[in-house]
Amino acid sequence: MIQSSTSKPQKSPTKGTGLPSSTTQKWMFLLNNDSSRAVILQAIVLVLVLFGLWFLFANASENLNRLGMTFGFDFLQVTAGFNISWSLIPYDPGMSYWRVFLVGIVNTLILSFCVIVVGTLIGTVVGILRLSDNPLVSQLARWYVEVVRNVPLLIQIIFWFTVVFSTLPAPRQSYHLGEWLFLNNRGLYVMTMESTLSWGWIVALGVALIAALYGLFRWSKPYYTLSGSRSTGFYIGLAVWALVACWAIWTFLNSTSLSVPSLQGFNFSGGAFLPASFGAAFVAMTVYRSAAIAETVRAGMQSIDRGQHEAAFTIGFSRVQSLRLILIPQAIRSIIPPMTNSWLAATKDSSLAVAIGFPELVSVFMQTSMNQTGRAIEIIFMVMGFYIFISLLISYLLNKYNDSVQYKVR
Amino acid sequence: MDDLNVKNQPVLKQFVPTPPRPPHKSERGILGTIRHRCFNSIGNSLLTLCVATVLFYLVKHVLDWAVFNAVFIADNRRQCMDISPDSACWAGVISWFNGLIYGRFPVDEQWRVNIGVLLGLVWLLPLMSKRIPLRNFILLSWIGLYPFVGGYLFLGGRFGEELGLVHGAMTCLALAFLAIIYANWILSALGKKGLNELFVPLVSRLVERRIHLLSFVAVWLLVALVIASGLSQVSLEPVPIERWGGLFLTFIIAGFAITMAIPVGVILALGRRSKLPVIHWLSMTVIELVRSVPLITVLFMAVTLLPIFLPADMEFNKLTQVLVAVCLFAGAYMAENIRGGLQAIPKGQYEAAATLGLGYLHTMVLIILPQALRMMIPNIMTSFISLLKDTTLVSIIGLFDIMLMARNIANDKDWVGMHTEPLVMISVLFFILCYSMSQYSLNLEKRLKVDR
Repeated sequence: MIQSSTSKPQKSPTKGTGLPSSTTQKWMFLLNNDSSRAVILQAIVLVLVLFGLWFLFANASENLNRLGMTFGFDFLQVTAGFNISWSLIPYDPGMSYWRVFLVGIVNTLILSFCVIVVGTLIGTVVGILRLSDNPLVSQLARWYVEVVRNVPLLIQIIFWFTVVFSTLPAPRQSYHLGEWLFLNNRGLYVMTMESTLSWGWIVALGVALIAALYGLFRWSKPYYTLSGSRSTGFYIGLAVWALVACWAIWTFLNSTSLSVPSLQGFNFSGGAFLPASFGAAFVAMTVYRSAAIAETVRAGMQSIDRGQHEAAFTIGFSRVQSLRLILIPQAIRSIIPPMTNSWLAATKDSSLAVAIGFPELVSVFMQTSMNQTGRAIEIIFMVMGFYIFISLLISYLLNKYNDSVQYKVR
Repeated sequence: MDDLNVKNQPVLKQFVPTPPRPPHKSERGILGTIRHRCFNSIGNSLLTLCVATVLFYLVKHVLDWAVFNAVFIADNRRQCMDISPDSACWAGVISWFNGLIYGRFPVDEQWRVNIGVLLGLVWLLPLMSKRIPLRNFILLSWIGLYPFVGGYLFLGGRFGEELGLVHGAMTCLALAFLAIIYANWILSALGKKGLNELFVPLVSRLVERRIHLLSFVAVWLLVALVIASGLSQVSLEPVPIERWGGLFLTFIIAGFAITMAIPVGVILALGRRSKLPVIHWLSMTVIELVRSVPLITVLFMAVTLLPIFLPADMEFNKLTQVLVAVCLFAGAYMAENIRGGLQAIPKGQYEAAATLGLGYLHTMVLIILPQALRMMIPNIMTSFISLLKDTTLVSIIGLFDIMLMARNIANDKDWVGMHTEPLVMISVLFFILCYSMSQYSLNLEKRLKVDR
């Protein structure tokens, strides 16, 4: 379009219309000038987009009027009135739609967090096995990746749910591990500890203990790097830390009682419960993610010059040592950006658990709540806003981390 | 050049490397390799044995279940269970095979689906031959015209009645184009002039410029008229879109997404690279927003919000809404691939194009995009594969694609509760499709590396 407008004036005299009129000349001048053309083009695009938005908006308000619906977020305070099969935060049908939204978010986050952690671990191992010298091992890893990667995730989720988890025995014939773990077609029941202390205190104490240990190591590091051995102060500190830790664990154990799942009627009570849909979604997504991450890790490892590997071998490092000290620290630089994308994809993929009825955000909010309230616009924008927020957050954090591990060019 | 210079100077000896020594005797041959790589230490030997045992039992059980003990002929699931309770019952999948492929398309009209798909492949066949000029136009015509032919065959109806006049006219033009491609192919093989040159002597008397183009248009219209007169005599049984399904529907959605991804992606990527702030920010917002939400929410949005945001008298069926969503989604992902390619083009290419006096459009279409697209072929193929896999998501919003058809088998009264076999069957199908696509892309990558 731009090109034709510049070439036209040269051709126009051949048409024999004589001199162009003064107004045309003025317009041509505007079109042939780079900056004015840019302004005109952008103005046209802007007007078109604004017109499009206005068109959509006008239609929406007209359609909403016609259907007798209103736009607004007041419905979030209304009582939801439906049950959610599993929720990490307390929920009952008397709570509001806002609570439903939060339940969906927490369930989505917990599912994707588990998938990311376990999937990354398995994926890293498989990716390294893929480079093994043993052809049997490397081919096994290769075909694991190929099979998992080339079958749609949705099929895998439904496969795990209908073929594996739903065919487990009924609660009365559960598979069990002693008295503290029961697996049946409803899900997994695990023994838990219930404490009279509040969980906030316990978590705070645990975090403080870990932080203190980290601080101790950090504080003694300069001496250690200089002398090769730890200072006396470090050992005293460690002893004090161990005493405090023992005291903390002792008080914690004293205050807790075990909650054992036990069969009552047709179902279990007590302990913690993970529904079968969570299990199926978790296993399928972890397997799928691990295959993607294995490929990332393999590509990262192969991007390192072979000489690095040989040099590590030459100075007598074992396979594990060369991986830990030479190869992985270098591979991490090229692995992190695709890994970030993989983790983002895992978060987005968690929405597929809707297909087997796991109560995550899309399922509880975009399906059940939307069907009940009919507030399609608000709900869809809230859900999308959540995913966009998570994406931006993860990519921001990982960009920060990525900056810190890249080569420092001085 | 350098080689010649070196050879002409007698002083310089050519460097001949010593050939590498053969491997140690114990490492030669197949047995040697196995011993060296699988049993070189105690730990590795144990690992090998463990993996081999696990693999053996895995393969044995899978084969027992899927092949040796499987039931291929039975009337219902109960019979299957009686014959062999613990293994696959392929009889159910076989009896539903038609449904898995064609969905609920009327059985008597299924030949139209076959013909339509075949026609699409036949259309692309000339791309294989290097003899045909302007091969890119064949691809373009496929993207632009084939959907009309496909739509006509799949939807059916009489010209001017169920089938709109525009659609009918485009169908005739498309078929005429196909006929001309093939006629030209045959004629060029015989060493004669193409069919489109038929009117050149006549046209050259009437006008002075664009003789070949006008002649081509004249031939095209003539052939189209002949085809139109033929097609207006037949009438195909109309098939509503709601009855499309199975693998056929999966292919329609995936095919549409794949063909639309490139143009949408190119526009968005160029927009994102644009120096004009309004266009840059608009494209970037669209790309980033679409990429950061899951496909299922985009599909829900299309199904629930399109009817609200568009005028009430515009009626869309579910398939159209899904196609719009998938097209946007695929375009945004493709845009990032293409942007990667655009960024990898050296600045010299732009400068050279500017030196030749090419404007923006010509620089992009003739110089930059062909290189960028070629460079990104592996990534583009990866995107296509994930698009094909993602089409299964439409089953969640209730389109009867192959996934939903497979799940429906378990609701059939004869095959109640049969989940495993259909899922395994479509998994294998997707595996074959996606794996061959990825192998093809590897092959293409290697070939293009050789070309350069």
